[in-house]
Amino acid sequence: MYKNFNFWFAGSLLVSLFVAIPLFTVFFSFFNSTSEYYDLLRNTFLKSYIINSFIILIGVLSLTFIFGVLSAYFVSFYNFPGVNFFKWALILSFAVPAYIYAYSLTAFFENYGTLFSLITFIFGEGNYNKFIPKFDGIFGAIISMSFSLFGYIYVLTRASFYHQSHNLIEVSKNLGYNAKESFFKIILPSARPAIIAGLSLVAMECLADFGTVSFFSVSTLTTGIYNSWLSFDDLNTANQLSFVLLLLILTLFYIENYSRGDAKYHQPTQGFRKIPKIDMVGKKAQFVSIFCFLLFFISFIFPTTQMIFWTIKFPKYFDLTNILLLNLNTLTLVIFTSIVLISFSFLINFGNRISKSKILNYLSFFSISGYAIPGVILAVAFITFFSWFSDFFSSFFSTTSIKKIFIGSILGLIMAYFIRFYSLAFNGIRSSYIKINQSIDESSYLLGYTKFRTLRKIHYPYLKNSIYLVSILIAIEIIKELPITLILRPFNFETFATKAYANASQDLLEAAALPSLFIIFWSALLIFYTSKHILSEK
Amino acid sequence: MKILFFLISIIFNFSNVSAAEVNIFSSRHYESDLELYKKFTGKTGIKVNVISGKDNALHKRIVDEGKDCLGDLYFTADAGRLGAFELKGLFQKGANSEFIKKNIPQNFRSDYWVGIAKRARVIYYNPTKTNPPKNLKYEDLSKEIFKGKIVIRQSNNIYNQSLVASIIEHNGLNETQEWIKGLVKNFARQPKGNDRAQILAVAAGEAEYAIANTYYLALMLSGKKGEEQKNAAKKVIPYFPNQKNRGTHMNISGAGILKYAPNKQNAIKLLEFLLTKDSQTHIVNNTFEYPIIKGVEPNKLIAQFGTNFKQDLNTNVSVYSKRQSEALKIMTEAGWQ
Repeated sequence: MYKNFNFWFAGSLLVSLFVAIPLFTVFFSFFNSTSEYYDLLRNTFLKSYIINSFIILIGVLSLTFIFGVLSAYFVSFYNFPGVNFFKWALILSFAVPAYIYAYSLTAFFENYGTLFSLITFIFGEGNYNKFIPKFDGIFGAIISMSFSLFGYIYVLTRASFYHQSHNLIEVSKNLGYNAKESFFKIILPSARPAIIAGLSLVAMECLADFGTVSFFSVSTLTTGIYNSWLSFDDLNTANQLSFVLLLLILTLFYIENYSRGDAKYHQPTQGFRKIPKIDMVGKKAQFVSIFCFLLFFISFIFPTTQMIFWTIKFPKYFDLTNILLLNLNTLTLVIFTSIVLISFSFLINFGNRISKSKILNYLSFFSISGYAIPGVILAVAFITFFSWFSDFFSSFFSTTSIKKIFIGSILGLIMAYFIRFYSLAFNGIRSSYIKINQSIDESSYLLGYTKFRTLRKIHYPYLKNSIYLVSILIAIEIIKELPITLILRPFNFETFATKAYANASQDLLEAAALPSLFIIFWSALLIFYTSKHILSEK
Repeated sequence: MKILFFLISIIFNFSNVSAAEVNIFSSRHYESDLELYKKFTGKTGIKVNVISGKDNALHKRIVDEGKDCLGDLYFTADAGRLGAFELKGLFQKGANSEFIKKNIPQNFRSDYWVGIAKRARVIYYNPTKTNPPKNLKYEDLSKEIFKGKIVIRQSNNIYNQSLVASIIEHNGLNETQEWIKGLVKNFARQPKGNDRAQILAVAAGEAEYAIANTYYLALMLSGKKGEEQKNAAKKVIPYFPNQKNRGTHMNISGAGILKYAPNKQNAIKLLEFLLTKDSQTHIVNNTFEYPIIKGVEPNKLIAQFGTNFKQDLNTNVSVYSKRQSEALKIMTEAGWQ
């Protein structure tokens, strides 16, 4: 046992440290320099960065809360026209990354944009620009993020409602509450842990966002770190901003974990009865149907249609060989990264289980740091660290440089994705692992199974479903990933996300439409495929 | 076994490194640049490899990779950035071959980098609604008569920083500071959107004057963004300011040879290729920038507004890099978001 402990401990430690590389790199950078940027920043920018971040955060949290909780409530407790469709259609919003949503939003509502064309087409020439609302700046960022992130709250809240004890509803009926009262006094409070968990995830994504806010040129904490670190080589400022940001994110993560723990107790193990849904009729049913439809329409159909419209309208941007290559590149990244991530997460989980070490559980806490750090900062920290490491390595062993193994290579990309998504994979597998009773392991040892055989014959079959689910989640994340891919990729290597970005940054959103559409298409397909799991098991 | 090797080679990137190649780090994302590189390969047999990305991140990667950086050329769209690279010692000499010296005006190059194409930052207005005063200068835009009439993008935009940097260079810091205070008071709205959004604001009547780069208008006029945008673009025309003194503010897209370039000679060949008549014609017809060599006409969409306007050829564009941080400072202090 002791021997095993050492092996698994070392393995866990190594992976945790690896994943924590960006965190350490940002905090303890290996060189130090300051610039006058700091004073400028302290005097003028810092406050506005923090204010902007907070405005966006509060805006996005409020909207996602309203969208997510209301839709989950309607879908879980009522029968209304289309409920079975909306149940899964609402999670398709996950397929549209916020930055692509931002492209659609801007192009649709800008002066002489798509909406203007539509109105002109229907009503003829006219000066309609004045009457078209403009979604840009902070407001645009809030809208884009809200519609692409409310799915987190919808999925988690719905799961919580779904598992809510039937008695609760009975109680509220017995107390004589009407629908509104029972919603606010009974249903909502009992789903609180799930809602908070969802809100924390939304908040983390929101704070870490770079693509959307930089598209709208809104300066936030994340862009502040990026600029002070990169443009001005000002590490002190970067570190201070990172510290504020990480503190926020770690708090959120703690809240999320804590709430999830709470949420567990709300899942009945026995005597779970599906809640009989209440049939809605008349105006109410219409209203609820329209609400869900609008939510689905605005979050998914709207951006997708905009992209399809452009793709058809500007066929000259279509290039078949290029598209095939982009598919192949994306597939390569997805396959390799999934294999590596799943194997490690599986083994480390197994190690934690058999060594039963508390310390290992704490170590796993590090695994979140990849998720906590904004992708763009992670990528740069990755480069800084491996440059340093490579210099150290080659001078120590007097070898030639090994930098290009890590930077500008597929291997480097996979490693960076590993850091980024390890938390997703590890925790995804862990949540199923803890459901397997320890006594099963003991029975298996009694039967003479070795530990490895227990892993292969007992654990693996149990976990197959969650491994499948986790790989699909990883695939979706990688298909949408932009900042890490952009800076760490090899020469001449493009993915849908980098292609869309390149076109968008030369102000040709029309040409960005096709790659964007592919991102949405693949993600939506994968989501559709797993919707059963996402909707029922969580 | 073969499959295994194939997989390993994908992961470790053991691609066949051909002897004749040149590697570009670029923050320009034009598809047409890639076509031009293909032509170069066809002509010389030198393969061109490209990574494009955001300026700051590429910069950081080049610094951190140090002498192991495989990049030969750094290609970007602002003179200030090129100057900053030179100041930080990230370039080596090489962009100063005889060919380059002979063909490129002195203010658009240094020993370390060279302009590939020019862009002018001009004032747009709607001629049916607005009659701009004669001999309009950038400096005039702070006057009372422009109150609530001007749109321009945010101060974090590098083209604005370079414009203000050039004005600091000419008028001094204090005068420019006053100018900016006046200019900000004249804004028709809080700055937002890109250059094209400013032009559209004038077309839509939200403002009378927009400050933006020239090629955005041509992009709209080209129909690449659809009929509505084309029609909107037809409503506005550019005004080239400062004709009676130093000329209109010019900026460049340009490139320099990175300090540790493994393929320096190929990089010089590529630079010189980009400065030939054929390449310049290709560039101006796709990006709608102005050519940087003589004997090439800008694309007609942009040439129709005049090719004889006075460009600011006295200001060495390398001063932008020295003045940009001052510029940013006074812009934000004046409340330019």
